[in-house]
Amino acid sequence: MPTRPDRDGDEQFRLLGAAWEEAARHWQDEVARQFEADHWMPLVQQSRGYLEALRSLLDMFEAAERETEF
Amino acid sequence: MTTVHADIDALKGLREALVRFRYAQREVAERGGDEIELTRASLAAKASHWQARLEQDRAELEACRASGGPKAAPDSSAYVRAVEQTGERLEHVRRWQQRVEVEADEFRGTAGVFGGLLDSGLPRAETQLLALITSLEAARRVQASGS
Repeated sequence: MPTRPDRDGDEQFRLLGAAWEEAARHWQDEVARQFEADHWMPLVQQSRGYLEALRSLLDMFEAAERETEF
Repeated sequence: MTTVHADIDALKGLREALVRFRYAQREVAERGGDEIELTRASLAAKASHWQARLEQDRAELEACRASGGPKAAPDSSAYVRAVEQTGERLEHVRRWQQRVEVEADEFRGTAGVFGGLLDSGLPRAETQLLALITSLEAARRVQASGS
């Protein structure tokens, strides 16, 4: 059975977070802080929002299929 | 690369992870869009099935009622119940169809914002990281040649 796209998206988000943490261990100057504010934080916020919305939508689709089986 | 360049390695790792993330999330978004279409099609097929069944049930009810003469009204209660039950199922499917449309529309707004991030925000971040990596590598080469 194929995995749901939201779960694959969550996993990719987790992997990216691990790469960010590794980079942040070595990169702590002003450029890093600016990159975090300009790119990383919006990316985290929008990714979470999107993946939560996708999860909610797919949960609802599963309910729709289940509830319309007679 | 030695641990001296661990910072560069980490930045390269982050950039590569961003590229992978961008491609993977595009695929996730495509599959999400496919799920919307699959669910819409599935509910439309169910609505079509129950609509046809309702028409059949109504025809059978009418046939039952017509089968009795003016003096002997047939018992059509089973046909009436069938029409009611099928009608309720059809309405139930139609309510789910409406809910799916509303929520899919709302989701498209969120997906559009995220698509903008994938199409332009992430490439900009990747470009900035690449420039940073290139400048760090150039600086290290200067340091190494000068030492």
